Amino acid sequence: MTGPMQRALRRETHSPRSALSVVVAVAVAALAIYCMLEFTLAALGQPSWLVHPVDAGAWLAALPGPYSPLLLGAAGVVLALLGLIFLGNGLLPGRRARHVVADPRVAIVVDDEVVASALARCARMAAGVTREQVMVVVSARLVQVNIRPTSGIRLSEAAIQAAVEAELADMALDPAPAVTVKLADSGVIGV
Amino acid sequence: MNGTPRGLNRFLLALLGLVLLAAGAGLVVLATVPSAAQWWQGYAGAQLDWLRDYENRSRLLLGNESWIWIAGAALSLLVVIAMISWIANQGKGRAATLLDRPGDADDDGAAGAVRISCAVAEQALKSALLERTDLLGVSVTSYDFARQTAVKVRVLPRQGVAPHKIAAEIAELVEALDELLGLEVPVLLSIGTAARSRFTKAERVR
Repeated sequence: MTGPMQRALRRETHSPRSALSVVVAVAVAALAIYCMLEFTLAALGQPSWLVHPVDAGAWLAALPGPYSPLLLGAAGVVLALLGLIFLGNGLLPGRRARHVVADPRVAIVVDDEVVASALARCARMAAGVTREQVMVVVSARLVQVNIRPTSGIRLSEAAIQAAVEAELADMALDPAPAVTVKLADSGVIGV
Repeated sequence: MNGTPRGLNRFLLALLGLVLLAAGAGLVVLATVPSAAQWWQGYAGAQLDWLRDYENRSRLLLGNESWIWIAGAALSLLVVIAMISWIANQGKGRAATLLDRPGDADDDGAAGAVRISCAVAEQALKSALLERTDLLGVSVTSYDFARQTAVKVRVLPRQGVAPHKIAAEIAELVEALDELLGLEVPVLLSIGTAARSRFTKAERVR
């Protein structure tokens, strides 16, 4: 695998932050359009639409003004939280729920949901239960297989674990997750 | 693998986050600490007086209004243009030409050029993948990536289909495409789930 494709894989497994960027850009543009309107009205000497720029400045300079500290404090906390969300989006790695599959020719990424449904099918075959009795959760470094056995039929945890691990080894995921199998204490009847 | 400016996205989001965080924290301090509120009113009041004074001194002959409002409007317009170009840059980078090789005297002596459209690779892969029953959706697109053209294949398999088997079979298809075209195009394969695959039944026999 060459350098550019490594970069492509890195890009595919991390969020581009484009959805939030578009939302923020639209909000900032709307604010700027409103400011442009008020500035233009002031420049032409026309009465302002909502508030004259100087009056807006005076309101800002008079804070806290007549408002209750509770209201202002709450508004400040909301603003700061919003800022924290944006800052987190800007700085955190933003890993997507995807794994890389090693291949010499093609760069391959797989959504964790696909891995989970394939492993669920494998675990279902190994345990001999129906679809509804198996739940698989795939995260970056852990695969959790939860199985509710049919009442009265004993299942072998080790056999299921071996089957799922063999399937996972065939997939050759990067990073390679560990497998834990959990059999529920109570079985189900009538499936 | 498209040309979304990820670094710019993150930088602008972090910048806006810092500004909002500072404004929010300042507002909380204003609301809770009386001495800070006094300082703010004194400081911002002085700035406001300067602004009013400057507005009176900078009135234009034409229309008798200050030019700072025109400057403010122009600045806002610049911000709007910057935001629109930021949005327009998301998801760009689609390519149209897979190969563009001019003929020269050293090669075979013929003048001219060989140009292969991306549609060749896209259609070849797509028509091969659409025949499969274990795939609910296929899309093939080409991007300009790292100064070369790369093909991105997105397939949406049914529930329960093993991803490594699909991957191996598509890798074989790509090798066949390499032979067909006579060049190795970088290929990215993305295997995902469609909303539809959750509501259709899993493939029981394969």
